Amino acid sequence: MRVLVIEDEKKTASFIRKALQTEGYAVDVCHNGEEALATASATPYDAIVLDIMLPGRDGLSILRRWRQSDNRVPVLLVSARGDVNERVEGLDAGADDYLPKPFALVELAARVRALTRRGGDTKSTVLRVADLTLDTVSRQARRGEVQIELTAREYRLLEFLMRSAGRLCGRMMILEKVWDYDFDPGTNLVDVYIKRLREKIDAEFEPKLLHTARGTGYVLRQPA
Amino acid sequence: MTFWYSGVLLLSTLLIAVLSFDELHERRDRPSRAYRGMEEIVEIVLWVGFPAVLLSIGGGWWLMRKALEPVATLTEAARSVTERNLNQQLPRTHNHDELDQLAEVLNAMTARLNESFTRIRDFTLHASHELKTPLTVLYGETEMELREQSLTSSEREHIISRLDELRRLARIVDGLTLLAKADAGLIPLGLAPIRFDELVRDSFADTQILAEASGLSVGLASCDQAPILGDAHRLRQLLLNLADNAVKYNFPDGSITMALQRSGPTAELTISNTGPGILPEALPRVFDRFFRGDAAHSSQVEGCGLGLSIAQWIVSMHKGTIRIDSVPTKITIVTVRLPIVETQDS
Repeated sequence: MRVLVIEDEKKTASFIRKALQTEGYAVDVCHNGEEALATASATPYDAIVLDIMLPGRDGLSILRRWRQSDNRVPVLLVSARGDVNERVEGLDAGADDYLPKPFALVELAARVRALTRRGGDTKSTVLRVADLTLDTVSRQARRGEVQIELTAREYRLLEFLMRSAGRLCGRMMILEKVWDYDFDPGTNLVDVYIKRLREKIDAEFEPKLLHTARGTGYVLRQPA
Repeated sequence: MTFWYSGVLLLSTLLIAVLSFDELHERRDRPSRAYRGMEEIVEIVLWVGFPAVLLSIGGGWWLMRKALEPVATLTEAARSVTERNLNQQLPRTHNHDELDQLAEVLNAMTARLNESFTRIRDFTLHASHELKTPLTVLYGETEMELREQSLTSSEREHIISRLDELRRLARIVDGLTLLAKADAGLIPLGLAPIRFDELVRDSFADTQILAEASGLSVGLASCDQAPILGDAHRLRQLLLNLADNAVKYNFPDGSITMALQRSGPTAELTISNTGPGILPEALPRVFDRFFRGDAAHSSQVEGCGLGLSIAQWIVSMHKGTIRIDSVPTKITIVTVRLPIVETQDS
């Protein structure tokens, strides 16, 4: 998997590159728009991380140019402007996702992962991690033979975690997908829900499946 | 204008002078006539005095009104000037009299104020933008540090605590950007027909979960159907904001009661919580940016000091009102009123 990062701020570009490399991606970096256009047309990428504010040609106009020439490469927009309508504007221009700065690297990595997975997403109606199963039609969860009662919110949280099984999920991403919040509310809502979910699916069972990466996020993982 | 008034005054003085001169003249010409004493005085007073007094009262009143009317208009216009409509100008007559000049001076003053306000707003906006890039770098690099396998657990704790503070800083910057843009009218809301009661129910569920850790009991006293025109994202933000406050500024084993009632054209949401409350002198300032009451300072509660300002903005964008009442050491009640909007599909 090859990812192109277009970001003029050198330090930011550098840690995005490092973070994506540790996730197993091959990463190229461009610092300005013209260079990005040339690079992207020479090499096929699996995903592109595109900063909106670039010297010379801005991110949105680059994106529009690609979409006009029918280049469908998945694009994640990042921006420090944080305009409320910028997300909408970006998605209209053909972006696949949008992430406002400042962001957590976990969030960025999770989004890039989602982009490169697009289409290959499991459509199976029964999700399974070890002996934990979730039927997305009957909305029933089981650990082994034991049925687990979930509230609507807990169900959505578990479904999200199981669909991203094995991968670290950041708080913001969970808030966005499960609660439909597009802002950081500054509460420990996610942590509290995770704790409750853990009591239901993990407390009386072995092995433990739901793990915390302190300070960054959560992961539901099959034991090695 | 002034000339006109002085003209009227001069004319009436002249008139009085001419009349009295005339009367005196007449007297001097008829010295032979018998003096009728009291009778004549009464007659003069009756026929001339009373009408004259009435006329002067009426005329004076009319003149005063006429003269002060523009002042009243100007006062009313000046009274309605706030930081939000500084670009509006006071009405002018353009006849260059004193009042018109006053209006011109006031207009010039509000224009200068408007300029200063805009400058402050732009400054906040730029500052929050400029802070985002270094914050992104700091956050990203700290996160990368955390991935280092060789860290001891105390080093790890240090880095995590730093990340928490960075997250808080990022929230403050986000809040500042939001409010600066809201001030400049740059944030359009996506208003659509929604059911406020459904959002309140969701928020109630979340509040129960948030309150569990501190042993609070949470109740939903009522939840009437409330179709409104609203921005679901923003209203969720509002509700979580208020719920979070009710949990944070509470007593251990205290309680929270939410109620959504519909009365006529208004949906009224009240969230009341036990807790240290807010002192009467602090109440008018709770919606001010970065204002934190004593309770907030003393109880080690983490917050960014912008929550209620943002809440107030969200409510006002929905043409609603928000107020807070509090009995210190007992209870705090937040009341949000939003206009009901019935549509076919709600």
